[in-house]
Amino acid sequence: MASIQLGTRKEKATRLIRKATFRERVVKDFKRNKYVYAMLLPVVAYFLIFHYGPMYGVQIAFKNYDVTKGFLGSPWVGFEHFVEFFKSYYFWRLIRNTLLLSLYSLIFVFPAPIIFALLLNEIRNMKFKRLTQTITYLPHFISLVVVVGILVDFLSPQGLINQILSVFGVDVTNYLQEAGWFRTIFISSEVWQTVGWGSIIYLAAITNVNPQLYEAAKIDGAGRFRQIIHVTIPGILPTITILFILQLGSLMTVGYQKIILLYNPLTYETADVISTYIYRKGILDASYSYSAAIGLFDAVINFGILVLANRISKKVGETSLW
Amino acid sequence: MVRKKKKNHIRSGLGDMTFNTINVLIMIVLMLVTLYPFLYVLFSSFSDAGLLSQHRGILWKPLGFSLEAYKAVFDNPMVLIGYANTIFYVVVGTVINLALTILGAYALSRRQLMWKKPIMLGIVFTMFFSGGLVPRYLLVHDLGLLDTRWSLILPTAISVFNLIVMRTSFQAIPVSLEESARIDGANDFTILFRIVLPLSLPVIAVMTLFYGVSHWNSYFDAMIFLRDRDLFPLQLVLRTILITNDTSSMTVGSLGGDTYRISETIKYAVIIVATVPILFLYPFLQKYFVKGVMIGSLKE
Amino acid sequence: MKPRKCFVFVTMICMFFLTALTGCTDSKETSKNVKQTDENGKLVELSYFVPNYGPTTVIKDYNDIAAYQVLERETGIHVDFQHPASDSDEVTQQFNLMMASGDLPDVIEYIWTNASGGPSKYLEGGQIIKLNKYIKKYAPNLSRVLKEHPDWKKQISTDDGSIYGFPFLRSDPELLTSYGPIIRKDWLDKLNLKIPTTIDEWHNVLKAFKEKDPNGNGKADEIPLLPALTSNAFIGAWGITPDFYQVNGKVKYGPTEPEFKAFLKVMHQWYKEGLIDKGYVATDGKLQDAKVTGNKLGAFMGYNGGSLGRYMGLMKEKNPDFRLEGIPYPTLQKGEKPIVGQKDSNFNGVAAAISGDNDHVKQTMKWLDRAYSDKGHLLFNFGVEGKSYKMVDGKPKYTKKITDNPDGLPMQEALAKYVRVAWSGPFVQDKGYVEQYYQLPEQKTALKNWSNAKNDILLPPITATPEESKQLSSIMNDINTYRETMVNKFVMGKEPLSKFDSFVKTLKGMGIEKAVKMKQAALDRYNKR
Repeated sequence: MASIQLGTRKEKATRLIRKATFRERVVKDFKRNKYVYAMLLPVVAYFLIFHYGPMYGVQIAFKNYDVTKGFLGSPWVGFEHFVEFFKSYYFWRLIRNTLLLSLYSLIFVFPAPIIFALLLNEIRNMKFKRLTQTITYLPHFISLVVVVGILVDFLSPQGLINQILSVFGVDVTNYLQEAGWFRTIFISSEVWQTVGWGSIIYLAAITNVNPQLYEAAKIDGAGRFRQIIHVTIPGILPTITILFILQLGSLMTVGYQKIILLYNPLTYETADVISTYIYRKGILDASYSYSAAIGLFDAVINFGILVLANRISKKVGETSLW
Repeated sequence: MVRKKKKNHIRSGLGDMTFNTINVLIMIVLMLVTLYPFLYVLFSSFSDAGLLSQHRGILWKPLGFSLEAYKAVFDNPMVLIGYANTIFYVVVGTVINLALTILGAYALSRRQLMWKKPIMLGIVFTMFFSGGLVPRYLLVHDLGLLDTRWSLILPTAISVFNLIVMRTSFQAIPVSLEESARIDGANDFTILFRIVLPLSLPVIAVMTLFYGVSHWNSYFDAMIFLRDRDLFPLQLVLRTILITNDTSSMTVGSLGGDTYRISETIKYAVIIVATVPILFLYPFLQKYFVKGVMIGSLKE
Repeated sequence: MKPRKCFVFVTMICMFFLTALTGCTDSKETSKNVKQTDENGKLVELSYFVPNYGPTTVIKDYNDIAAYQVLERETGIHVDFQHPASDSDEVTQQFNLMMASGDLPDVIEYIWTNASGGPSKYLEGGQIIKLNKYIKKYAPNLSRVLKEHPDWKKQISTDDGSIYGFPFLRSDPELLTSYGPIIRKDWLDKLNLKIPTTIDEWHNVLKAFKEKDPNGNGKADEIPLLPALTSNAFIGAWGITPDFYQVNGKVKYGPTEPEFKAFLKVMHQWYKEGLIDKGYVATDGKLQDAKVTGNKLGAFMGYNGGSLGRYMGLMKEKNPDFRLEGIPYPTLQKGEKPIVGQKDSNFNGVAAAISGDNDHVKQTMKWLDRAYSDKGHLLFNFGVEGKSYKMVDGKPKYTKKITDNPDGLPMQEALAKYVRVAWSGPFVQDKGYVEQYYQLPEQKTALKNWSNAKNDILLPPITATPEESKQLSSIMNDINTYRETMVNKFVMGKEPLSKFDSFVKTLKGMGIEKAVKMKQAALDRYNKR
């Protein structure tokens, strides 16, 4: 009983102190961090001018925006665009395809550069290491049109893949016309494009791992594999976590450019995602409002997931975006 | 005890060897797979247009040999102007990017900064929500940046993603280093320049690469904000070569959608012309990816 | 680093940032120069927005075109051309941004019928001005052209009769047709077959292509037909199109008609027999090129220049026997005139409008009107006499420099240095261009065969109201996706044709009847113009 009273009294006391010193704390914080705030000034100014400045444009999701009438002059329509999207014939298919592609890329595309960076880090021959690094990041520079062109070439009935498989007695398949193959093609080519380039961040993070830890692990008799598990991975875990959280924050978004080049009516079943839907719709008439509405819908969900993931990460791993 | 350790050692030695062999093999396969598309583009660009158009599948060497495609690309006087402009955008853009990102990342990596959380949240927020293209255009228009070089540099002065990556890296620097410096009377600027930056060369190299490459590859802003052809970056010039000659785009042409199609080889030559210079950025930065930068400074 | 030094550093960055922001205001160039007139009040400069569709290797700016140089010399008016960069989607975007910014040049040339909401929206908003009352006074030549061709006037007007720009007009039927079925004539000759005109004859020919090894390599690797299911070929034989069409003023939608099922049945049959390319859905331009030039493909749909002419050129040396022929659109009954082929309208939507910000309407209109005079007609179609054309028997003929360029430039590029006739612009396109552009006899045959069709059921260039177009795009987006998927499934047999009725039912559920009604309303308004 007494202890509780004591506790509340103490709490009251601190609360009193806190209330009294909020302004002081601001002042104190500013005094202590004046240089830091000076550094932040241009950064904050940038975000205010170039990102928050145009933010008023979000309102067009609830309007029928018309370039000739401007932002203020366009009539309000409330949630009409959202309702239209939800009622769209293909709504659930779009959601399903988008989520599945995101999920698969989280499972396959995201870890690939990490594994690659870890393995590359184990290469002792510096020349070989540099060569591997330089070569694997080449696909990043080749435009999507060409990447897809090569894919189409290789996957066509007369293409390389079919030629190789026919040696083993596999029937010729036109992979690009099979809805069942689309996700595999999309994800595996994604891995191929990003594995080298994506590993750069992790390689930089690995250089920050304290070499003494490896020495210690070696003395404990840990082999290469166990060194990776017990030293390298924990060392780059904050980087992995942050990138993972960011990746989760784009769960509702799959870029349209590659899909547009890769899909056809026969693969819409698995390939049509929200962004391609907007793209097709946007082509017909520049429907800024409609795409803004869908974009907002995506962003709200994405941001929600991000906040949630960040909270979990903060609790579990003490890594946080903010 | 001693015996056991020795055995362990031998096992790990053997394990090491297998591990190394498999690892090297994986790397070689990966190299082949990732190198190939580039070679494909390279070979195609030197090929004879007619032969290439009916070729299917794998290419081991150029089909025939012809420099026609490169001639066609460099015949366009805009290509050299484009190169010069792009170099300007890459250099100036990246310097500004780095300066602002370093300042922001350092500030937001401080542990006892009262407004850190709301500011960070506000910044991450912009990754998801934006006013859209039209307000962005109007802003650039109202600031008077339209049709100037700054329209390609200022609106993209900081990438949130890169800011976060850099901040994460700054946070990994042991606090102890900073504290001892503070006791010696160092302020934040001194800490940033004397301690944090020297320890962060790898991440700065990464950021230089990321920003540099993104400036090199970007064309969308240029397309929206620029009219004056003398300011066009290379990518936009090349895109104009590719796209205005593509079948799909000339539907307004007098004869329905009827046009001649640009030869495939030009397309590939354009890619080579557009990518090869930026590829050389990497080897220069690569030396910073050496393990132990940290420990080197720790010992100082 | 000392604190003061550091402060200087940060301030420098801030200053830099701010000066860059503000400093640029001074060097800002608006799209309209303030000084447009000389001291006598004569117009000397015009700003002109127009997408550059010319070959950029030849012309950076429309001022590189000789016709505009001549015009400048004659009128003393310099034109500041503003070309948005790149492809059609982006042009739309930049057009919209320009409209949104309210910073308009004097003349805006655009495909106005493609602008979202159509030209009437911009007339209402005051971005462009209605020309009706000025045309007689300031544009006598255009006025005369429109008087001579009331149907053209109908096409270039909005539903309420407003004229909003100086139009691009294609004068003769030869200029309106450029697409149709193409077949390997050398294969037909080799197999002693006649040119197929009916669906049944096509079937026989395709079967022969498949079985009799016309490419003579001993392998049955021929692909008889690469169809284009969204074109009017084949389906036209049943008297419908794969999209909206009209019968005696009544709008219909092809895929919901019973004839569509009959068409699908034949296509499926051909697919099953291996007469249609198994990979037709995923065949892009590059794959098609490979199939044609690889001596595999027997028949396909294509353009007169971009396919027929180009392939003939590519194969000239490699395979001297290679011959393509553009043949008539197929019919059901022998000897019938094809019901529908491909034919554009005289006016395709490209027009130069005068913006609401233009302070010199009269002079601008006079300047634009020159292109419609007899002299201007020659200038814009044929270029400069003695350089790009010569008069032969009273008719303009392109010089050798154009048709057979000494530097090896294709004709379109050589021509682009002088005129815009190879694509579009505010003038009347002359038949003489296309007659000389199609240089191969095969191309001339193709033009003759393809334009031989009734084409009564094609819709004229109708325009939807802004509200209609919004609803239409919303309905048709889903419908087009569904239709494309299902049509391919029916053809490939992945969906049995017994499901056709439920296909039609789904289309109705998606609102096709509402879309037809809106098209009908638009057609009625058009007919009343």
